[in-house]
Amino acid sequence: MRASTDHPKKTQPDNPFDMESLVGYILLTGVLLSVALLTVGFVWRWERVGNLRFEHSIVGMNFFEFIVSTVQQMTSHAFRPRLFLNMGIAVLMLTPFVRVLASVFYFALAEHNWKYTFFTGFVLSVLTYSLFLR
Amino acid sequence: MSFHVLFLVSILAGFVGAMSGMGGGVILIPVLTLFGMDIKHAIAVSIVSVIATSSGSASAYVRDRITNLKVGMFLEMFTIVGSLAGAAITIISGRRILFILFGVVLLSSWAALFRQRNEGWQPAARHDAFSCWLELEGSYYDRPIRQTIVYQGVRAYLGGPFMFAAGLLAGLLGIGAGALKVLIQDLVMGLPPKVSTTTSNLIIGVTALAGTSVYLTAGMIDPGLTAPIILGVISGAFIGTRILVRLTNKAIRHIFLGVLLVLGIEMLFRGIWGV
Repeated sequence: MRASTDHPKKTQPDNPFDMESLVGYILLTGVLLSVALLTVGFVWRWERVGNLRFEHSIVGMNFFEFIVSTVQQMTSHAFRPRLFLNMGIAVLMLTPFVRVLASVFYFALAEHNWKYTFFTGFVLSVLTYSLFLR
Repeated sequence: MSFHVLFLVSILAGFVGAMSGMGGGVILIPVLTLFGMDIKHAIAVSIVSVIATSSGSASAYVRDRITNLKVGMFLEMFTIVGSLAGAAITIISGRRILFILFGVVLLSSWAALFRQRNEGWQPAARHDAFSCWLELEGSYYDRPIRQTIVYQGVRAYLGGPFMFAAGLLAGLLGIGAGALKVLIQDLVMGLPPKVSTTTSNLIIGVTALAGTSVYLTAGMIDPGLTAPIILGVISGAFIGTRILVRLTNKAIRHIFLGVLLVLGIEMLFRGIWGV
């Protein structure tokens, strides 16, 4: 086994904002935002009706339509607890998607690594296809 | 099901998921069905929560620079296609035979790992040209043993197709299928257990998203049930992640072995008796 007792700093790259930070912070932001939205939804629901039960379903929509309908409700200011729940779920689902999208750009623009630009581009295309599934 | 029950069950699932590199769905789905939820809906709800566990713990591992992003991104190409196919099959199929199959897969993985449980990780002896071309080398600082471990991933030409199968199971059963993903990276691609566990976490999120899209389109995702589970699973994963970086590779493998055995037996029983 090749191992050394170097200080951990040696494994840290010189660039303070590298791929790891980018991916790490996208994932962290997505999850925290999703948690915040869901929490607002539940707290508001509790304030309003005194229980945490939601009974609405997302039927007959693919992911793209789900996001469009969520954004439409937001822009028409139809804010209510269930909208926050939908927003939380949408943000969570978009988190890995944005991570892949950012990876494509990072490999292409920062690293000029075409091999991995192609790989992540393929993943992005399949995920985008799955958004529009019928 | 009440908010509290969903929330507590999910904390436990998230904790085990993060500790073992699995999505946590393996605990969620059986418990949800015990509370009377239809198994297909449990699978659909679980796979959304898998995105949460994965992203939550992956964010920490990636920033700690244990995860190998290139290994993850190469293998994702295979898992997402598998996951889409798997979820599509679940929607139209009965599942007893799948449970049995999955039980067998888990138990054979357990047997394979058990035989070499006391062996520390050894770097691969032969490096193949394809894996070198894929730039699958890496290094990370192992905190418990205070050393920088340098490694090279191998046999990517086998790892890829195997990952398609792992993705298929993930989509099919609404789980992270991290058990298989870790195993493939460990045994086939020769990565150190910590790297395979954390990289598996990263792959699981994207794989689960592909499956989630299918279940969402099928109208099987209920936000009222999904939201408390997401919150619980993230809390559990947060605690699990803080503990994982303090453990040695051997300890992780022991925990992983125990979980594999229990799950394998559980799946097999449910398939045979159709519970």
